[in-house]
Amino acid sequence: MMTAHSSSLLTVEALEQSFGGVMALAGVSFQTPEKLVYAIIGPNGAGKTTLFNVLCGFYSPTAGALRFDGHELRGLPPHRIAALGIARTFQNLQLFFNMTVLENVMVGCHLRAKTGLLSAALRLPRVRREERQLRAWAAEALELCGLSDRAGQLAGALPYGLMKRVEIARALAAKPRLLLLDEPAAGLNDTETMALRDLIARIHATGVTILLVEHHMPLVMSIADRLLVLDYGSVLAEGPPVEIQANPRVIAAYLGGAVQYAV
Amino acid sequence: MRLAGFFVFAVAVILLPILFPDNYFVTVVGIAAGLHVILAVGLNLLMGYAGQISLGHAAFFGMGGYASAILTTRWEWPGWLAMLAGLLVAGTIAWLLARPILRLRGHYLAMATLGFGVIIHVLMVQATEWTGGPDGLGNIPPLNLLGWTVDSDRQWYWVIAVAMLLVIGLSLNLVDSRIGRALRAVRSAELAAQMMGIDTARAKTQVFVVSALFAAFAGSLFAHQQAFVSPDSFSLMISVELVTMVVLGGMASTFGAACGAIALTLLHEGLVVFEDYEMLIHGALLMAVMIFLPQGLFVGLTQGVHRGWTWIASRRGAKEPHHPAVS
Repeated sequence: MMTAHSSSLLTVEALEQSFGGVMALAGVSFQTPEKLVYAIIGPNGAGKTTLFNVLCGFYSPTAGALRFDGHELRGLPPHRIAALGIARTFQNLQLFFNMTVLENVMVGCHLRAKTGLLSAALRLPRVRREERQLRAWAAEALELCGLSDRAGQLAGALPYGLMKRVEIARALAAKPRLLLLDEPAAGLNDTETMALRDLIARIHATGVTILLVEHHMPLVMSIADRLLVLDYGSVLAEGPPVEIQANPRVIAAYLGGAVQYAV
Repeated sequence: MRLAGFFVFAVAVILLPILFPDNYFVTVVGIAAGLHVILAVGLNLLMGYAGQISLGHAAFFGMGGYASAILTTRWEWPGWLAMLAGLLVAGTIAWLLARPILRLRGHYLAMATLGFGVIIHVLMVQATEWTGGPDGLGNIPPLNLLGWTVDSDRQWYWVIAVAMLLVIGLSLNLVDSRIGRALRAVRSAELAAQMMGIDTARAKTQVFVVSALFAAFAGSLFAHQQAFVSPDSFSLMISVELVTMVVLGGMASTFGAACGAIALTLLHEGLVVFEDYEMLIHGALLMAVMIFLPQGLFVGLTQGVHRGWTWIASRRGAKEPHHPAVS
């Protein structure tokens, strides 16, 4: 039996998020064990991205608890949550378009550096040393994401598929313990999606726990260790891919069939 | 080289008074342009890089100016100490103001900073006991730096030139650093910046304080150089001009801001001959620049040169059969 309780990195309990009476999340509970690829699926509007935004501190939940590695996330601003070791990518690209790919990824290293305003303005020797270190770290993340040859280009000038990779590289540069990927395959063609699958596997191999929101079922089923199925802001099912694929409630929700289930 | 542009600019600044001694445009207009450069480069950190507008920046310029004027005339403080006091006042007020005001965005931030600028201007006019009211304060002693008294135009040129190069150097360093990247990230995608661990409120506060400090620094120099300050030098119109300089030269470029400041200062001087039509031509020229070079003079022109260069290079490459032109 899994020892999910003892090794859970992220624990979400009875999480509720309402927007003016609309329940986007109606009591969601789950645990993400450490070093797993944990996928969250569900139809559009099921509350997947809302869940990410609550996790990241962009929304403050109406009720419930969020614990990451023993820290309560509720009430923390996003930059404090990031400092605990959570990084994410965005469904709709949030790149720094007017900066180069390398600079984007160097921003990802923000928390691993210390340079303050005054030392930066004076460009003290230790600032130069730190800049070199940041470049090396950023280069590592770019290498892992296959973007080394794009380092000097403006992020806004890249093709869409590569922009999505820059977001992943930027998030990785923060050396997160938990990486949230919000629909990384959206808008990618089949070749790019397969490459993305390899990339996620490589990232996973470095020991990062991955929380993946994705609609591309072949990708999800081939890479996720466990899945959480959301529907109308509630948990419909949770378990390993084989169980989920055989779950009649999930099939009903996805195929829109006439199978009824208790609410 | 990262600082190549800086050295070219520095050499030009040093050569000008040597090549053209006692030229009005160098020693008189040059001083005004240098002060404007300091102001515009500071405002550009806030506007161009962090993406936050300030329509009240003349207020910080004025705080530096009045701090130096009041402290040196009424209490006979040494100039450098009065300057430090001005920096302290402007920095503290900017810091206190930053958190509440920089929560606002776009038009709302423009309104709030405009209101702030108006309040400070009204204080300069109304607090007659301290500021001398609309008549201003005169007889400000010349600046004394370590026993060296700055009182001729030539000397002022050198002092302002050094101050300006210092501010440009600090700005260039800052922009190309962890802090500068954080600022640019805030402007570009604030949510993503927060998610990368950047405390965006803190980053905005810091840059607001830095730009206020640069403005106050310019204000102190201005007060000593003119030996006179009055509210007219720190009015809303001046705030608007500072914004114009940044936009005219090209946002998010230190040399763009410097270029805008110099261009606008020269434009004022150059158009004086048109007398009544000065402002008319001035406005029309600004409109033309924004229509044809929306990225600003400096940024637009350097991009144009760059594009021209690559075009020529690609033409040259196309003549050789084994190098198909790559788009």
